[in-house]
Amino acid sequence: MLSYKKHRYYINMPMLLRVIGYLLVIESLFMLIPCIIALIYGEDSFLDFLICAGISGACGGGMMMLKPKTKEMGKREAILLTGMTWVILSLFGMLPFLSVGTHLSVSDAFFETMSGFTTTGASVLNTLIGIPKSILAWRCVVQWVGGLGIILFTLAVVPMLNYSGGMQLFNAEVTGITHDKLRPRVSYTAKGLWGVYILLTILLIVFLSFSKMSFFDAFCHGLSTISTGGFSTSDMSIAQWNSIYLKIVMCVFMFLGGVNFSLLFNLLTGKGGNPFKNTAFKCYVVIILVCYIGFVINILIEGLAENWEYLTIDPLFQTISILSSTGITEPNFHDWGSISIALLLVMIVMGSCAGSTSGGAKVDRFVVLFKFLKTEFYKMMHPSTVTTVTINGKGTSGSVVQKTLAFLFLYVMVICIGGLAMSLMGLPLSDSFFCALSAISNTGLGTEVTGLSENYALIPDAAKWLLSLIMLIGRLEIFTILLLFTPTFWKR
Amino acid sequence: MKIVIAGAGEVGTHLAKMLSNEDQDIILLDNDQARLDVIDSNYNLMTWNGSTSSFSSLRDVGVSNADLYIAVTPYETRNITSCAIAKRLGAKKTVARIDNSEFLNPDNGAILKDVGADFLIYPENIAAQEIAVALYHNWARYWGELHNGGLLLIGVKLHGDSPLLDCKLRDLPVKTHDFHVAAIKRNNETIIPNGNDEIRRDDIVYFITTPPFIQEVREICGKKKRIIKKALIVGGSRIAQRFAKLYNEEFHIKIIDNDRENCENMATILPNCEIVYGDALDIEVLRENNIYQYDAFLALTDSSETNILSCLTAKEFGVPKTIADVENLQFLSQAENLNIGTTINKKLFASSHIFKILLDADESNSKFLALADAEVAEIYVKHNAKITKSPVKDLKLPFGMTLAALVRENEIQLINGNTHIQECDFVVVFCLSGTIHKIEKWFN
Repeated sequence: MLSYKKHRYYINMPMLLRVIGYLLVIESLFMLIPCIIALIYGEDSFLDFLICAGISGACGGGMMMLKPKTKEMGKREAILLTGMTWVILSLFGMLPFLSVGTHLSVSDAFFETMSGFTTTGASVLNTLIGIPKSILAWRCVVQWVGGLGIILFTLAVVPMLNYSGGMQLFNAEVTGITHDKLRPRVSYTAKGLWGVYILLTILLIVFLSFSKMSFFDAFCHGLSTISTGGFSTSDMSIAQWNSIYLKIVMCVFMFLGGVNFSLLFNLLTGKGGNPFKNTAFKCYVVIILVCYIGFVINILIEGLAENWEYLTIDPLFQTISILSSTGITEPNFHDWGSISIALLLVMIVMGSCAGSTSGGAKVDRFVVLFKFLKTEFYKMMHPSTVTTVTINGKGTSGSVVQKTLAFLFLYVMVICIGGLAMSLMGLPLSDSFFCALSAISNTGLGTEVTGLSENYALIPDAAKWLLSLIMLIGRLEIFTILLLFTPTFWKR
Repeated sequence: MKIVIAGAGEVGTHLAKMLSNEDQDIILLDNDQARLDVIDSNYNLMTWNGSTSSFSSLRDVGVSNADLYIAVTPYETRNITSCAIAKRLGAKKTVARIDNSEFLNPDNGAILKDVGADFLIYPENIAAQEIAVALYHNWARYWGELHNGGLLLIGVKLHGDSPLLDCKLRDLPVKTHDFHVAAIKRNNETIIPNGNDEIRRDDIVYFITTPPFIQEVREICGKKKRIIKKALIVGGSRIAQRFAKLYNEEFHIKIIDNDRENCENMATILPNCEIVYGDALDIEVLRENNIYQYDAFLALTDSSETNILSCLTAKEFGVPKTIADVENLQFLSQAENLNIGTTINKKLFASSHIFKILLDADESNSKFLALADAEVAEIYVKHNAKITKSPVKDLKLPFGMTLAALVRENEIQLINGNTHIQECDFVVVFCLSGTIHKIEKWFN
């Protein structure tokens, strides 16, 4: 007898694990990329990567075999799934770091992988010299996958998720206050966004390979730049190549990485019209210009301008790199002085447009809040005026403002609690707060700015786990992860 | 297929949800953002805030490459305007919800077609016709006709006096195989049975049969035939008025309504019917109106709760047939468990009607939405389909489906284990909702 009954699971675990199985298989396929690279460069890490891919693939395949009684997934499952996916994928993604070349400890490897997936770009590796090329490539692949989000990728390729449950996943992973759909079905939306992403990546790799970079370097930088992650293949990052052409290309693509991908999709398909009608985009451009001018003034005051590059491309590169949360710093940034640091802090918090690959609290939210403040001040003078916050020429409901306020409050809370916790772990106070801020904004500018050390290798293991958590909280825009820690979520 | 639905009212929302579960590209257009927000975040479809009769918003949703445009706002003129615009902008087919029987007249329909409204649906009219069907076949809970009445789907609630009770389907006390038990509904649960399942008391059993054997089905269910002459209607809603308008000659109709203005209005447009002003939830009012004498009680107010409760009251007064309009889908299966006879739902009628329009394009498969959680589909057998390989009993078909009947060269026959399905047959399949994709691969 087969009967149709609404199986009311508290949480539909089998289905959840099955979807994660799919994701793991996809991850194992991505692991084949460094595998091929190892093969090309004749590195013996080839086998290790194959084993790692095998392990992930086998676990994923096993989980895919699960036969859930019902495919139904509600909000609860979607949120739990998103959180679990990122953690589980990081757990499997760290396997290469444990086995190949680097031999990191578990804490280090997890931190490195999470930093990759969340496109933070903070590293525990002391030096990249002597690290196998396959590992360098894996770091960048991880960032590329994490940039737009692996769940979004899965939504595009696995038809199983193309139903209302998939919609919840989309909402939980894609950044922004509200989510634009490009097409009615979530899989088409996901395909559209990934299409833009892949197109930009290919273009960037082509442009980069015209520079002094080798193709391998161009490939890795291509992946990590468009995802606004910032992992490099060289200790000196892009200063290694010291090319103006390179910086200009990077600037353009970091900038694009910080633009809302729906907007890019519409522009590419010719439906966009004038992008400056998009409020967030307009503000993004204005903020870049203002910060650029700020940096230039700062450089002039400090008297650092040795030639024209110091006033043109360097500050612009720095601005876009930080605002888009890529987090590559100019080699002489330490000398720029305290005004630059202050500006930097503001930019880290600000981030760029929602729906992009970048981190931060997103320009969109600040736009909403500033407009809201403007109406509030106006209302103090004219109490009976009825106002709304208009975004992209349309009025928004009050709940958007409320959500934004709640978001920023949580943002500050996470930084404060994270910073305090880390200072208890023995880090200097300013460094702990800066690390927390950098982690939640997925910028990955680290301790070198405040002068503690070159990278994150020195900080205690507990702090690495904490930072990993904060990076994840930041990437999934706070609510998704924090909701898992609330009693309401688990209450039957 | 790209479908634009204008109007996120009850019908529009229901259609949008249903069609998005059927893997169609749905865009729902309405100008109430709050209503759209709820749907947008929970369903796999796109919503768009805009007026349904605005050129710019219709262009924005890309009506020019839409395969179907459905206008289902509560206002018929707005729907027709909106269809006219959509058609001119390039929508392939348009459907307008109307509210006026004049439009259904074929001559007048041609004018509307010129304007741009290809198909018209009139949910109240469909509901009124369904009520009449339920009154004619009053021993059945559900009466569905497929293939122009050549094949019948009859749902019957079995009470104590049926010989079918408590026996397994494989040894039913019948000699012939003139009907199939396609589904059993027991406590909110729909069962697609096999030979080992039993029929229990108070189950709703769905039979598939052909017209000559209706009598036999009725007898084994232990039901008596009753001709309904007098119908008491509670609530002067649009469905009630439409029903009274269409069938005031077949039935003696009395309508009770608690709105004086509406009563006066009905008295002028329905001269053959008795109109009473009063509250139907008041038992005294029912007594005064001799509820004992009526064969049928139709609860058609706008409130589902009132309808369900007043049907229960009418049953206590001994009215043999009660029909309740239950618009709230959550109540529908609860209402079916109660002893209130037939339930009707305007939304389901309208959406199944639109579904048929939709599937006209795709001839190989048509679907009828009979129940809340099961579907009857008519599937065309394609060349070299898996299902033609051997007789049905050797096929190892999946659970959860019944092959009910097939139509071969316009002749209808029921399927049994020895039937060998051939190419170009139309097969009527009964299955649980959402499993149709699994079944379709047997036919391709």
